[in-house]
Amino acid sequence: MNLTLPTTLVLHALARGHHHGFDVMDATGLPSGTVYPILRRLEREGLVSADWEAAAIAREEQRPPRRYYELTAAGEALLATARTRYRIPRTLRRARGLKPRPSQS
Amino acid sequence: MTSRTREPFALRACLVVVRAAARLAPVGERDAWRREWEAELRHRWSNQRHHQLSRGEQLSLVRRSFGAVVDAAWLRRQVTLDADAVHDTTYGLRLLVKSPSFTLVALLVLATGIGATTALVALTDALMFRRLPLPDADRVVTLWERHRTTGIGREDVAPGNAIDWISHSSSFAAAAAVEPWSLDFTAPGGEPEVFQAVRVTNRFFDVLGVPMLHGRTFLPPEFTRGNDRVAVLSYGLWEERFGADPSIVGRAIRLDNQPYTVVGIMPPGIELRLFEQRREPRVYLPKYFEDYEARIRGTGYWNVVARLRAGVSLPQARSELETLSAYLATQYPQSNANIVSDVVPIRDHLAGSLRSVLPLLLGAAALVLMVSCANVANLMLARGAVRGREFAVRQALGAGRGRLIRQMLVESLLLAFLGGAAGVLLARVSLSVISSLRPIDVAGADLIALDLRVAAIAFGVTLVSAVAAGLAPALQLSRPAAARALRQANTAGATGPLRAALVIVEVSLALLLAVGAGLLVRSLHEIQRVDPGFARDRVFALQVFAWDRNTTAAKRAVFFEQVLDGMRSLPGVEAAGAVSAMPFIEANINIRSAIAIAGRPTPPAGDDALIYTTIVAGDYFRAMNIPLERGRLFDRPDSSTSRTVAIVTRSAVRKFWPGENPVGARVNIRFTGKAYEAEIVGVVGDARHDGLDRPARSELFLAHPQVPFGSMTLVVRTTAGSPATMHTLKERVWAVDPQQAFYRTATLDELVARTLVGRRFTMMLLTGFGLAALLLAAAGLYGVMSFSIGQRTREFGVRMALGARPSDILHLVFREGVTLALAGIALGIVAALLFTRLLRALLFGISASDPLTFVVVGLFVLVISAFSCYVPARRAVHADPLVTLKAD
Repeated sequence: MNLTLPTTLVLHALARGHHHGFDVMDATGLPSGTVYPILRRLEREGLVSADWEAAAIAREEQRPPRRYYELTAAGEALLATARTRYRIPRTLRRARGLKPRPSQS
Repeated sequence: MTSRTREPFALRACLVVVRAAARLAPVGERDAWRREWEAELRHRWSNQRHHQLSRGEQLSLVRRSFGAVVDAAWLRRQVTLDADAVHDTTYGLRLLVKSPSFTLVALLVLATGIGATTALVALTDALMFRRLPLPDADRVVTLWERHRTTGIGREDVAPGNAIDWISHSSSFAAAAAVEPWSLDFTAPGGEPEVFQAVRVTNRFFDVLGVPMLHGRTFLPPEFTRGNDRVAVLSYGLWEERFGADPSIVGRAIRLDNQPYTVVGIMPPGIELRLFEQRREPRVYLPKYFEDYEARIRGTGYWNVVARLRAGVSLPQARSELETLSAYLATQYPQSNANIVSDVVPIRDHLAGSLRSVLPLLLGAAALVLMVSCANVANLMLARGAVRGREFAVRQALGAGRGRLIRQMLVESLLLAFLGGAAGVLLARVSLSVISSLRPIDVAGADLIALDLRVAAIAFGVTLVSAVAAGLAPALQLSRPAAARALRQANTAGATGPLRAALVIVEVSLALLLAVGAGLLVRSLHEIQRVDPGFARDRVFALQVFAWDRNTTAAKRAVFFEQVLDGMRSLPGVEAAGAVSAMPFIEANINIRSAIAIAGRPTPPAGDDALIYTTIVAGDYFRAMNIPLERGRLFDRPDSSTSRTVAIVTRSAVRKFWPGENPVGARVNIRFTGKAYEAEIVGVVGDARHDGLDRPARSELFLAHPQVPFGSMTLVVRTTAGSPATMHTLKERVWAVDPQQAFYRTATLDELVARTLVGRRFTMMLLTGFGLAALLLAAAGLYGVMSFSIGQRTREFGVRMALGARPSDILHLVFREGVTLALAGIALGIVAALLFTRLLRALLFGISASDPLTFVVVGLFVLVISAFSCYVPARRAVHADPLVTLKAD
């Protein structure tokens, strides 16, 4: 796995509880054309698992179900090594457009 | 609430973008992909109840939706990359297995081209770019004499010139003279043998710059008279004769019946190939300059090696040596008027005679590769035409042009790599053949091994050929026009212009190569027909240096008289003699002296006054079959007490007595420092000396009893079926002196043949390439014809059903093929007329546009082409019309 800074940021965002594509974009400040390919790559390599949100929640909010991403154990391990490489907290603070939104659930 | 009308404009815009992008996503994942994006977008807007989207946020969402295009494209690329690579490869492999005859032919064809090219590139690499065992080898040079007017170069250096070059030049960090030497050695219980040796001046080991394997080099005091009985042994001699025992260093060995202390062992792999016979020295001895040596300028027998000083370039060194030569020419006009220096980098020197033909051979190998690539391209096109339907269907089903091109390239890559593997094997075989054929003056060729470098070269060649062979068919077949094939089924165009062009190119390149090879074959034939001036067969030559135990003139005269008498007494010996300068032998004693003819003014200085001076004993002229043209040969009465007599060659007469009879003329001549006044008693025919392609020389012979020289070659002519062998002849010599060793023994035939090895080598390589190219072109033509006929089976069936005779069909098909061949031959002849001039330096006795060669090769190619067309044409004729009509 090619562990670039954007990939690390995405892993980190997932670990912090941002589970949907758009939320990850908000959390990392990365554009959609970067975040989605990263998510798909992580999914193929088994670092992230993905599934559809429960239909009940979606129905309640009167919208289609969203796709839901979660770190797997391998993804957690990768993030741990990534943290040592990029020293995430400081980098994250400096990442542009980092505006964590209040949790919406 | 989610009804369309109430959707905000920004959301509608986002959804339009996403839905458009969805078309890019791979079909299998398209639906899920679109749902994911739509869900995210709708989620944002459904959230408006909690958090009103600002105008800026809406805009950023629209911007974000454009990322969907990137996302979809990425997804598509991933999926197609994975699937296509696997698919193309398995599909390609399946195709190769399914049509084994196509695969086998294509593989053989590619292997030939890749093998030939790889072998030649590896050979070039070995000769020109390999690391030499000398440190900073590119600064090591060899120095030679070159004759200004004749241009003949790489001549050994006269001692006087060598001494001046070494002591007066400032271009070299170190320079040394090397004197060829030989040492007799008799192992306990063995026959006396000769070790090739050299005497080297004090800076020799600084020029090489390599440390000794064991021991040391010579110390300064050892370069003086009386202290010079020390020797450095070559690695080979040390290993072979002294069991690679390091304790030999410091011990004495007997050479020339004298004790020499071994002080050092050379490291392995040091080759300088300085001597004409290219034998490496086995013993190195210290050499100091003798007073008389500075005066020897007309006769070259030394070698000079040097290491350029840091900061001095090769051209700078060359110009300094040129200035020095010009100065020496004014100082010593008699000998040096036409002598200039040749500064040759050691690498060029080691590449020997191959150096000049390497580019040519590389070009020839590249042509073979081109022919084989064209051939495979053609095969693929032929198959592609059959597959036209498949391609058309795939295009109709939405396969892009890029996709089809990639498929074709993957197939050609597969072929090329399989062919490349076979080619490497072929290259390995050809390299060992090349290595065994190589001219003896080429060093390092035996170092050729199939290592990583060669593998890398082969890999590169393979890649190039894959693209070359696959690109044209890929472009052609993926053209949208190919879609027509869908409608026309299998009857699409018979040969097609591209395929016809490829065959024409193949035939023309093959013809070009074959003409080149033909010219070399003819040249070799011509040169072998040259009359050397003597009869080559049934003559033994034994070179002896008989100075050691025959220290006086009288002893030498007696020694050779007894030896020759002994040989004459052998049954089957027709004539026996000896000569100081034996034609075609490697270590020749070529001595040139100024000649002054009595009653004539002294001729102007320089070359014009010089004549080769050679000593002859016994029946030398009869043994060589050199004819007497005037006067008489030397006879018994010509002894040390009678007046000095001389014989000259016809060339000498032409030069010094044009239109006159020289018999009876008196000449003054110097030989090894002594002056002789001699009367000319005879004229003999010319004999060539260094090569059949070199002109005969003007030469003057003196009789051995009157000038008893010690370095002689015994020349013995035997009768047909004679029992005399080299060994029985040696025994005759040992009967006189059991310790006498032989520097070189060979038959005259071998000596002459040796000078043709280089020519033969180039000729054989080029002929090999030419034949390979011809075979490939013939196969190409055959392939095109059988394919075209296969495609037209139906047409022939109709024609025959309508009353065409088999001969009409044969004629029709035959004409088509022969037209292609003729076009190729015409193009090839034009190309050959343009390019064979590159061969001019290698030709002998014929011009680069030799009509005979062109006609014969052209006809040969035509016959082969006709045959390649005839076989498939005959098949077409013999097919049953009923069957052909039902075809397809």
